[in-house]
Amino acid sequence: MKVRSDVLRIYQSIHTWTGIIAGIVLFIGFYAGALTMFKGAIEAWSMPPSLTLPQVPAEKLDDLVTQVLAQDDKAKTGFSLSLHDEHQSPMTWYQQGSERELSMSNQIWHASLDEQGQLLTQLSTPSELAELVDQLHRTAGIAGEVGHDQAGVYVLGIAAFLYFLALVSGVIFLLPSLTKTFFALRKNKGENRFWLDAHNLIGITSLPFHLVISLTVIVFAFHDQLYDGLKHLVYGDKPLFAIPAPDRTLYSLTELPRVETVLAKVKELAPDYQVNEMTYMNLDNPRATLRLGLYNPDGFMRGPVTDYLYMHPYTLTVSNSTFDPSEGGIWSRTVAVFFGLHFGSFGGDLGRWVYFFLGLSGAFLFYSGNLLWLEKRRKKQAAEQSRASRLMASATVGVCLGSVAALAVSMLLGKWVYSYFSNINYVYLSAYYSIFVLLVAYAFWRGAARAALLILPLCAVATLAMPLTSLLALVFPQLGLWAPYSTATLGVDLIALAFSAVFFYGYRLTRQRALYGPHDSVWALPIRSQTSNVNAAVPAADPKVPV
Amino acid sequence: MARLSDSEKLQPDWWTKTLAGLILGFTLALGLVGLFAWFGPGGIDAAVKVQFNMWLICPIWLLIVSFSFLFRTGWRAVGYLSLFNILVYVTLYSFR
Repeated sequence: MKVRSDVLRIYQSIHTWTGIIAGIVLFIGFYAGALTMFKGAIEAWSMPPSLTLPQVPAEKLDDLVTQVLAQDDKAKTGFSLSLHDEHQSPMTWYQQGSERELSMSNQIWHASLDEQGQLLTQLSTPSELAELVDQLHRTAGIAGEVGHDQAGVYVLGIAAFLYFLALVSGVIFLLPSLTKTFFALRKNKGENRFWLDAHNLIGITSLPFHLVISLTVIVFAFHDQLYDGLKHLVYGDKPLFAIPAPDRTLYSLTELPRVETVLAKVKELAPDYQVNEMTYMNLDNPRATLRLGLYNPDGFMRGPVTDYLYMHPYTLTVSNSTFDPSEGGIWSRTVAVFFGLHFGSFGGDLGRWVYFFLGLSGAFLFYSGNLLWLEKRRKKQAAEQSRASRLMASATVGVCLGSVAALAVSMLLGKWVYSYFSNINYVYLSAYYSIFVLLVAYAFWRGAARAALLILPLCAVATLAMPLTSLLALVFPQLGLWAPYSTATLGVDLIALAFSAVFFYGYRLTRQRALYGPHDSVWALPIRSQTSNVNAAVPAADPKVPV
Repeated sequence: MARLSDSEKLQPDWWTKTLAGLILGFTLALGLVGLFAWFGPGGIDAAVKVQFNMWLICPIWLLIVSFSFLFRTGWRAVGYLSLFNILVYVTLYSFR
């Protein structure tokens, strides 16, 4: 397709600058986002199995609830029931903290029944590892608050804005060569060409995913401002949200319907769904609410995992639902699709895996974009690359790979020191940030090549150590470690092993290029260029590239 | 393709085009969503429709920003986007 050259030039500039500005934070958002596809598995992996009490059959839940409510005052204000999840205790409630705010020092009571129907309870501070990964995904690890929102969320919102422009401009300036080179992965046309082909191939094939992610992230960050705009310019005197007069009657706990009754009612309302979670809130005041997390493997879920149904816990009147099948529910069902398209909560487990790989491929897109920028600005046959190139290379390696390494090491460390700390969450936080800052500083101090040769093996070793730790736990139970106890937790170890292989391969390629690749590059090790003249004589002989 | 003279080529005009897309593009997107909100299916009072309307703003706004760079000059972008704004808001406010 022919596009005017002045148009191409303009969109090429837009693509370069938006990509360079937004790429690095988006990299973190994407790789951490890919991991959140398995948030439940990561959470379970990070805690010893003894912290979770065994599930009970649904028909025994009423017995459990009655016994707990008879003896615990905290549970009388609200509690959660979990069904069908081997990684969760059947009943939990907060001793300290609440579901609504992120805290590193929540204390949660777990309750279950033993085989004789006797009540079992225990109190623990849960590992927030999975939640921290989620926070990293949403804020790229940028701390601080603006108003009542997280600053990092706004930063990613702005990055997503630039990302949309980068997508549109990237497609436009690819149009002329798209049909000729779409499926070409040219390895023998120089280092630049292979990366460019891979970048284009991934960008175009996953374009719908990327458009969806960029638009949803903007909305997640700026919905308040968008609603304000609608209110002032469009709705005028009309209310944005019609709030029906709620039932303000105060009920007593003795009137609480049995869990069985609730489940029967849900079966009637949503026959295709299974109840995963029931959260009772504000049971002691007029704002009493019951939120049900409903899962349908063939459905399109509004939440990260489930759809939601809100009921009054005493009267069982439905107040809100994200899958209302009636005609009036068309808007909420449509909006649920936007959420589901971001969360990847459709298509069951297959959908989850597809989103995991799409997320990783997105991270690759940003990383390769930065590498292309560097290759393009490479000064051939110059003794030293430009300052901008060196800084950008350091930032790319330090921040992107540094974040990956910091997370991997924190996860591993958390498992080893779990039994020595009463609250593991501060270990995660301090380990992540200190390692991250150190690695970024190192990358700027010693340059991208040296940093990559340190960080990649660090990633490889940390991820390899995860499955090895599990092996050790099996052989030496006295170490206080724990081995995988479910398919999901085993899956985390196996994925870590696969990651380790990729990091190791990346390390080998980078090392190859640093030592034997062209010396007129930010990837060359400076010492070698002085000491080994043999290699300098054949600069571009080896087209190996860094990962 | 015939060779274009310099005055026919797109001028970059980064600042004016970007600001036109950001500000006038936003009000235009809101206005268009306003037309949909009031005169589209369900009308202004349909429950939960406000959420859908809010979601609709971003794709429209971002497409306007993306294609604002196709105006030949920055001032053309400002001019055309202002004109579209006026048309949309006159329609919205006279018929709602």
